[in-house]
Amino acid sequence: MIPPFFFGSLACLCLAILSGRFPRLWLALVLSGAGCALISAAQVLGDAGNWAWEASFTLGCQTPQFLVDGISALFLVPVSVIGGLSAVYSREYWSDHHHPDSAPRGRSWSAALILGMILVLSLANGLHFLLAWEIFAISAYFLITLDNTAPETRKAGWLYLAASHAGTMILFAFFSAVAARTGSWALGPMRDQAALAPLFWLALCGFGVKAGLFPLHVWLPSAHANAPSHVSALMSAVAIKMGVYGIVRFSAWLPLPPGAGWVVLGLGAMSALLGIAFAMAQNDFKRLLAYCSVENIGIILTGLGLAILAMANGQAAWGRVALCGTLLHVWNHSLFKSLLFLGAGSVLHATGTRDMSRLGGLWRFLPWTASLFALGSAAVSGLPPLNGFVSEWMIYLGLIRAVAAKGPVSGAIVPSVIVLAAAGALALAAFAKAVAIIFLGAPRTRRTAPVQECGWGMRAPMLVLAGLMLWVGLFPAMALGPAAIAATAWNPGWSGNVDIPVFHLGSLHLLLACGLLAAAYVVLRKVSRNGLRDSLTWDCGYAAPTTHMQYTSGSFAGIVTRWFAWILRPARLVRKVRGQFPEKALYLERTPETVLEYCIHPLGRGVGLLAEGAKKMQHGRLHLYILYVFAGVVALGGMAFWGGM
Amino acid sequence: MNEILNLLTGLAVGLNLLALGTSRLRLLIRAVAAQGVLLGLLPLLLEHGAMDWQLVFITIATVAGKGFIIPTLLHRAMRTANIARELEPFIGYISSLLLGAAATIAAVVIAQHLPLFPEHVGSLLVPGAIALILTGFILLIGRTKAISQVCGYLILENGIYLFGLLLIHATPMLVEFGILLDVTVGIFIIGIIVDRIQRAFDSLDTRKLTALHE
Amino acid sequence: MEVLDILARLLVWLVLAPLLPGIINKVKAWVACRQGPPVLQLYFDLARLWSKGVVMSTMASPGFLIAPAVAWVAVVAAAMLMPLGRAGCIFSFDGDVLLLVYLLALARFSTAWGAMETGSAFEGMGAAREVSFAVLAEIGIITAILTLALESGSISLASMFTPPPGPGAALLAVGLFIILLAENCRVPFDDPNTHLELTMIHEVMVLDHSGPPFALILHGAAVKMMLFSALLVQAVLPLAHMPLGLSLAAMAGGIVLVVVAVGLVESLTARLAFRRVPLLLTIGFLFCLFPLLLTWMEGVL
Repeated sequence: MIPPFFFGSLACLCLAILSGRFPRLWLALVLSGAGCALISAAQVLGDAGNWAWEASFTLGCQTPQFLVDGISALFLVPVSVIGGLSAVYSREYWSDHHHPDSAPRGRSWSAALILGMILVLSLANGLHFLLAWEIFAISAYFLITLDNTAPETRKAGWLYLAASHAGTMILFAFFSAVAARTGSWALGPMRDQAALAPLFWLALCGFGVKAGLFPLHVWLPSAHANAPSHVSALMSAVAIKMGVYGIVRFSAWLPLPPGAGWVVLGLGAMSALLGIAFAMAQNDFKRLLAYCSVENIGIILTGLGLAILAMANGQAAWGRVALCGTLLHVWNHSLFKSLLFLGAGSVLHATGTRDMSRLGGLWRFLPWTASLFALGSAAVSGLPPLNGFVSEWMIYLGLIRAVAAKGPVSGAIVPSVIVLAAAGALALAAFAKAVAIIFLGAPRTRRTAPVQECGWGMRAPMLVLAGLMLWVGLFPAMALGPAAIAATAWNPGWSGNVDIPVFHLGSLHLLLACGLLAAAYVVLRKVSRNGLRDSLTWDCGYAAPTTHMQYTSGSFAGIVTRWFAWILRPARLVRKVRGQFPEKALYLERTPETVLEYCIHPLGRGVGLLAEGAKKMQHGRLHLYILYVFAGVVALGGMAFWGGM
Repeated sequence: MNEILNLLTGLAVGLNLLALGTSRLRLLIRAVAAQGVLLGLLPLLLEHGAMDWQLVFITIATVAGKGFIIPTLLHRAMRTANIARELEPFIGYISSLLLGAAATIAAVVIAQHLPLFPEHVGSLLVPGAIALILTGFILLIGRTKAISQVCGYLILENGIYLFGLLLIHATPMLVEFGILLDVTVGIFIIGIIVDRIQRAFDSLDTRKLTALHE
Repeated sequence: MEVLDILARLLVWLVLAPLLPGIINKVKAWVACRQGPPVLQLYFDLARLWSKGVVMSTMASPGFLIAPAVAWVAVVAAAMLMPLGRAGCIFSFDGDVLLLVYLLALARFSTAWGAMETGSAFEGMGAAREVSFAVLAEIGIITAILTLALESGSISLASMFTPPPGPGAALLAVGLFIILLAENCRVPFDDPNTHLELTMIHEVMVLDHSGPPFALILHGAAVKMMLFSALLVQAVLPLAHMPLGLSLAAMAGGIVLVVVAVGLVESLTARLAFRRVPLLLTIGFLFCLFPLLLTWMEGVL
């Protein structure tokens, strides 16, 4: 039953690309495409097993091959869900009324993006995989630069394009090396060919760029912050997962070099800690969310690294738990991160600024957005009874079981547990900050235009996401099934029942949720009976508070920013109060993207200088050009001659 | 016997962390002194019952030297230089504590991979010695005041001494005495130098000692 | 039967917890040669607050009233997960200890939320400090959990408290005691007696609360104190191997001992300078880390 749905979804999305000018038709096509993709994924994750299909024609001298197994299907689910919901959201958020030029363009490209991702997930031929990867990467570029009037956006787009192509170049090398060594472009399990093992490092780098793994994440914050919010949601929740998919997929198919588990685990832990440290220091709430994606990718890779270690050591007991947690976290992160980005979009839509220091007190005007954003923040901080906790708990469970097993690896896993704990607590700090500075307290600047809550077109997708989050949080046993199927697809040796007491956790979550609701009800009732009186904030009796005295995003993060100053390198501009008639005091702090500004930019400048030097050879004198050609021919001849001997 | 030995070594390693975490020079000196006394008692425990006068004498000399004479000299140097705190270390206190903990863990891991005599495998002597040496280096590198650096040097020396205990049967007592004497004289001289530096430059900050003056 | 068990435990936690702050205050008064407030003072305070009206800041949303309730439920739920010596737990499964840690995180999140509702600089400061220092405290707790897991080979609260006596247990006790002081906002991290100092953390977050929500905050703090004391006692004493009566008695005695120690620390030391708080928390973390190292060494040798 899979082929009609799957090809139907491809066809719908192809038509949707063409119908960008007709919003209703486009929406119907995208939704039905996403729905069909979801149904085919659900069938694979249900009981239909793998689905493979080979065309009878060739494309670029290769036969197109499709393969949807547990792993692809698991990643197909967020692609279709978030893709469909962001399409609904964009109708109001990026409407034809406000963006007559770019809205049709955006619709076509976002259909292309979803199509590209579905193809990436389902193609099992290296050459076609690369083609789909390019469609996906390019359409993401056009979506990021949808609002191409702002120079910042254009810059972010270029950075994304450069980084993405650097990654693609590595992937080209990877796929051609695989094809050269196996003799065919067809992809599949290659565990038995030990010579392929070193290629895993190429895959890790190439897919790591797209996933936003820590030192390779340089493009991610600016791209996600400057893109329109429905695009950011799609990028952050799903597009970077394509990188994760690549790493998961090829760690399942390739033979793994020794130490691969440790490297993935270490990179993951580093990403988690540093990603969230950078998030804490941001003043721009969309950049904060973007860095938090770096953290979550880190958590995912920590779990994957543990699973690889477990497989190398033959320890299903903790490897499988960690892998299920990892795969479930892929879902969970897509759910809460897209909810948060859509909420951020609603704030941006209403206020027009991404700077948290200008916001505050928005709960009064945006009650829906505020409560949904708060729910998403609680989930991303891993708080029970929401979905983020379920998957983080499973990853922790794997890690601590590995430590408690007293095996050869137990001691070395300890640091990653401690790092994850720190990252978890920092995530709570960062999101307590975000939600409190944006929505609570009093407005920090006077607003000229009235602030309006978003309409149902934007609210409904967020509500659906919140419902899905609650579903995973309260009934985790139901969400574990698909993750376990994908885990079995990753390592066929791990089958049968998973030893995770997820049912207990789910029932406790339900109890807790009931307890929370009951307590809130009792308190509100009791308070209204006892009498409620409004007054100024007491604040120890301070008589004339102004809104400027509130803690700002910078001051809230100050302590943590100081701990991480060695990597954050915040740039400060301070003018203190001085003299009898002091000038206005000033304190500005900006956290640069350290890796970009201290590593990549100097490197770029170096390349620029080299190119500057090479330019001298291009002077327009023909006879010298002929000399170059002659020298080249002589050199090649020499190489051939001595190489031949 | 082995348990008391391990306990004393463990306490000495704990004192390392105290030395790394404190900004008060007085406390730092006391920590080093206490460490010296603890380590000085070890030879008595290592010789199972065989109490010869040499051993007793070296124990008394070590305890007296490391626990009382050297700290007194350092206290005096501190008083003459009129400083009580290390204010701006190169490596902050939290970082040096964490580094110290990492060094201790590294010491344990390294000790497990060393080809040791079977009688030393269960004991903390080797990891303790490595941890002391590493801690000494952290203090020497991370602190700016001359007196803290001297303390770092003393901890380093304690580590070497602990290593020496492994070879207690092979090392002649004379060598031990020579080391102890050297160290005492060294501290004595440093005490005088500290005083001179303080008078000449009005500061004990070794960062400022990068240019030569006549 | 099970329902009765749950109710009995709930009653023990809810009714006995407010005794602990009373004992602390008595100890402090005794050291200072004062008479001090009665041990049951907190019960009177709670009853009074529960029947009072609420003054709410004009800036605050209804979340300001709900946040204390959320925090209270989270803390009580965490307490219900905690085993009571030989009597064990009611629900227990692999990894419930992580649920406990994250329930405390939920309480922290909602307390910080409540503080930020008022838009006051004081309360913002308290919230910022609470969430930042909690990072270090949480590292310490997770390390202690790892130690216990490595000692017992289990990660469920019902079976992970089997501490072997020795220097490791002593170190862990010190580490957990430091974390207890930090998490429960006692001297030397915080001073529960004053609201008006710039070095405050927790007390300053609840400045604007009043009436029933404030009663929940005070009661939740007492339950949290008891929770951490119970954790400390069980992480150090092998209560699970004693007979039921003895283990419960030992647990009660241990909790009182911990609380008395808190009172003594409070009477005899001054609050730390604010910038030295991370240093002490790091020391607490190291005290939890070294028993881990010791256990690991024993496992390898």
